[in-house]
Amino acid sequence: MIMKKLWKMAPVATLLVGMMAAPLTQAEDVVKIGVAGPHTGAYAAFGEQLWKGAEAAANDINEAGGIDGKKIELVKADDACEPKQAVSVANRLVDNDKVVAVVGHFCSSSTMPASEIYDEANIIDITPASTNPQVTERGLKTIMRTCGRDDQQGNVAGDYIVNQLKAKKVAVIHDKDTYGQGLADATKARMNELGLEEVLYEGLTRGEKDFNALVTKIKSVDADVVYFGGLHSEAGPLVRQLREQGSKATFISGDGIVSEDFVVAAGGGEFVDGVLSTFGRDPRTIPEGKAVVDKFKAAGYEPEGYTLYSYAAMQAIADAIKGSGSTDGDKLTAWLESNGADTVMGKKEWDEKGDLKVSDYVMYRWDKDGKYTMIEE
Amino acid sequence: MAGHAGILINSKSILLQKTFRCSTMESHILGQQLVNGLALGSIYGLIAVGYTMVYGIIGMINFAHGDIYMVAAYITAICIAVLSFFGINTVAIVLLITLAVTIFIIALYGWSIERVAYKPLRNSTRLAPLISAIGVSLILQNYVQVSQGARTQAVPTMIQGAFRFGSETDFFQITYIQTLLVVVSFLSMGILTWIIQKTSLGRQCRAVQQDRKMASLLGINTDRIISTVFIMGSSMAAVAGVLVTLNYGSFDFYIGFVTGIKAFTAAVLGGIGSLPGAMLGGIILGMSESLFSGLVNTDYKDVFAFSLLVLVLIFRPSGLLGKPAVEKV
Amino acid sequence: MLGTAHDNPKVAALKEALLSAAITFLVMAPISGIVLKGYAFEADFTVPVYAALIVFVLRLAILLLEQNETGRKILVRLSPSKGGGVTVAKPGGVPWLRFILPLLFIAGLVLPFFLGKYWLTVVILAMIYVLLGLGLNIVVGLAGLLDLGFVAFYAVGAYMFALGSQYWGLGFWTALPLAAATAALFGGMLGFPVLRMHGDYLAIVTLGFGEIIRLVLNNWTSFTGGPNGVSAPNPTLFNLEFSRSAKIEGNIPFHEFFGIPYDSSLKYLFIYMVLFLVVCAMIYFVNRLRLMPMGRAWEALREDEIACRSMGINHVTVKLSAFMMGAMTGGIGGVFFAAYQGFVNPSSFTFFESALILAIVVLGGMGSVVGVIIAALVLTILPEALRDFADYRVLIFGILMVVMMIWKPRGLIRIHRPYFRVKGGKA
Repeated sequence: MIMKKLWKMAPVATLLVGMMAAPLTQAEDVVKIGVAGPHTGAYAAFGEQLWKGAEAAANDINEAGGIDGKKIELVKADDACEPKQAVSVANRLVDNDKVVAVVGHFCSSSTMPASEIYDEANIIDITPASTNPQVTERGLKTIMRTCGRDDQQGNVAGDYIVNQLKAKKVAVIHDKDTYGQGLADATKARMNELGLEEVLYEGLTRGEKDFNALVTKIKSVDADVVYFGGLHSEAGPLVRQLREQGSKATFISGDGIVSEDFVVAAGGGEFVDGVLSTFGRDPRTIPEGKAVVDKFKAAGYEPEGYTLYSYAAMQAIADAIKGSGSTDGDKLTAWLESNGADTVMGKKEWDEKGDLKVSDYVMYRWDKDGKYTMIEE
Repeated sequence: MAGHAGILINSKSILLQKTFRCSTMESHILGQQLVNGLALGSIYGLIAVGYTMVYGIIGMINFAHGDIYMVAAYITAICIAVLSFFGINTVAIVLLITLAVTIFIIALYGWSIERVAYKPLRNSTRLAPLISAIGVSLILQNYVQVSQGARTQAVPTMIQGAFRFGSETDFFQITYIQTLLVVVSFLSMGILTWIIQKTSLGRQCRAVQQDRKMASLLGINTDRIISTVFIMGSSMAAVAGVLVTLNYGSFDFYIGFVTGIKAFTAAVLGGIGSLPGAMLGGIILGMSESLFSGLVNTDYKDVFAFSLLVLVLIFRPSGLLGKPAVEKV
Repeated sequence: MLGTAHDNPKVAALKEALLSAAITFLVMAPISGIVLKGYAFEADFTVPVYAALIVFVLRLAILLLEQNETGRKILVRLSPSKGGGVTVAKPGGVPWLRFILPLLFIAGLVLPFFLGKYWLTVVILAMIYVLLGLGLNIVVGLAGLLDLGFVAFYAVGAYMFALGSQYWGLGFWTALPLAAATAALFGGMLGFPVLRMHGDYLAIVTLGFGEIIRLVLNNWTSFTGGPNGVSAPNPTLFNLEFSRSAKIEGNIPFHEFFGIPYDSSLKYLFIYMVLFLVVCAMIYFVNRLRLMPMGRAWEALREDEIACRSMGINHVTVKLSAFMMGAMTGGIGGVFFAAYQGFVNPSSFTFFESALILAIVVLGGMGSVVGVIIAALVLTILPEALRDFADYRVLIFGILMVVMMIWKPRGLIRIHRPYFRVKGGKA
């Protein structure tokens, strides 16, 4: 009776054992690079940006002859922005797929535990999107980023609010998430440093669409500037409801909203008219960048958000492998820190922590057509 | 009418000022918060109906219901896009056709989900359909994500404008679409209550709810009644999907989860199994979120909402309008 | 037309299959067929058409099979098992079990040496879920209390370890009992007011409680680090730390002490070993409990509360004990999770996690320890094994969850009530 039952379980068991033991053949003439980000769950849209950027970069590098004749082979890894899964996929990339470098992860809360694993395995990890200062502050050698830090971005926003907008009453709103709250806190800290206290500091819940109560509250404190730390999926409805309730406060946010989807989420260009956001220097103003952007557009994909950061991360890795002639994590980071890399977003240079030396955050203004342009100082 | 409301709100605001640490809560701000709460509560109520009906009839928490609402949002946008492709742009016509199509397709979703994932588990343990429902919720979310992409989607703004009360600077408003939302919520709640209370179909539903075996002995096709209940619940989710999409303008494949949990909470708060209870629970939840957010702190509004639920259930273990469970002796 | 359908069962089958196909098409056409591009769309109906065709063929095949004798036999074999109820185990237990168990134990101990680091981490995660499943099994499976917020206790345990080490310098071994106690305390705190609620009301209150704990952990930034989380220290063995260089003063890294080269697998190996022993102890403990008055009272209460109360069983104490015992197990699981991940933040403790643990218990067969273990292994290893399907991973996982539930509605393993006889007297 019990044997019969065990017999029934046998196929399941064999399947599992088979999968666990599946040997992974590794060809010698490819360079395996992992691309880790959320491909399922609430943040899947950003995982797609990371993947598209890395994929395009890898294709372009391969077309140009690869890395010293070796083709780049990408391994897609899904962490769903859960630290638990991030640890799993990091170990999988290191142990099963034997990648030599990783582009990723997206959420800072995933990047942090995963980078510990890459560091222990001595594999370079360049994150195109995790802007939380803690990511590079933990003494790990092999972690770098192609995006700025929240504190750099917060400084730009804080300065702008105080010096350019000459704001009196600022409401600071965040989305209670690693990125959003980090950014809001950085901006708030800068504002306070310059002697401006916020009149409201509150967090909304990611995934919700109704912020009317919060908007009414913002109105009730007569805020003339609303700073939002978070992503476009919440920024859109927030700015829309702000305008619908008749508030004329200036809306400022960070790179998390810079995406066509922001206009979509807000329900049209008329709602985002006049919105300000900090973002890296526009790659379209750089010659190489323009070519890549045009190529993306020709393929029917708008390279927005972190796509180009991911592209740049892949370029940096390829450059470092070429330049140092090694795949050793320590050597690659050391090479990048001393030489820098020419990327689609211009020449990038890193300090010893793995942060960009020059933060190139600038302020953009959105117009009623839903396009954003750099504000000339 | 407006004056009368103003007086009411004023007296309430005095009360609230004493209770909360807020010092200056002007009446137009409070009025706005009440409107916000009412609109949000109507949405919760509409979705809560689906939970409450299904629970009432087969005693199962249909965790996939929030995702059915999410699918409804997508169908709405698809329908509007297709209609505009054929050059139909008159708001009323677009609205009516979209509503009809969405209700039809979502009813089909409700029916087929029940048929495929829950019906085979009808006579099994109480928790088996619950787990199946969690599976269905995963399927719907990821099916939509894989097919439609993970990006935020939107519908064009079709109805704009608002009724404003108060002076030029100190006003509170209810937008036309919010008004529509509230009216349709109460209207459909009324129709549904009427169906359940007065029609023969409603009588059959109630019979199945009380004793499925006895009902089937009396010649009621219980399977069909259960299917009908799923269809009705899903239709309400479809109505919610259309109106909410028009109200907020944007949606993604993940909206079902958060709203679903809230709506479920509303259903339990009002007394699960009771239709007016679902609406009442929704309104109370919406109001309390909005007022807490406005008067105290937005960060903790969900903590407050759930604490309220726990408190209500401690003192009224069957919810506000639920019938107390009969203890068999 | 209706008449012909009645006359010819094959035509009726064809009609029904066509109807199924039509419904499949209608359900799938808008979502799969019309892909939104901004306010416009792109239409491509290949997927729904194929899906409808597949449904048509399958439905027709099943309906036609039902119409002849051999076909029916095949279908009966394939159909889900219907048998219900609980059976009582044979007296004296299963004879060969005493040989199998030590073998399994040894196999469990040597298993990690044959696994790569990746699969080792997956197996650790699976073991954590086994532990959580065992804990929730006490509450849901044995005592029959539906708990949808089990993740709260898991979070309490994990945060106890992480915050404890940050603020009070607690180590792994101190945190283990402390977290168990704290989680049990939380279980008691929640359990006391809500236990007079019935069935599903209890479920929603526990759900609310789970959400409250997560939201507080997320919002109380000054204490818990908010969404940024807190890092948890590496586990230690007699002050030998499992890390490349000692992070806590006075500790020596394990590999330096023994003069072996550093390998990050060592930490996982250690966690696995301790976890494995804890899980084994827990299994033994639960099995013994089921024979003891307390465990029997749980099961009796699950079957009929009123009968129990009239027999003089204090239902509040009994329920509370189940709740606290479950919570304690969850807390221990949390410590292992924090140690394994080296970092905790609130996003690991969402409602979905509770649902997953509940799925483990239900799929395992509500009350069956072996079932819980198998289900936990299946539900944690499956998503990892499905990684090759990339974006379709969770979709397939969801489909498998529904299919498994329909195929085995009463769980993978049927529960056997333990057999016992009053010694020396008449039962």
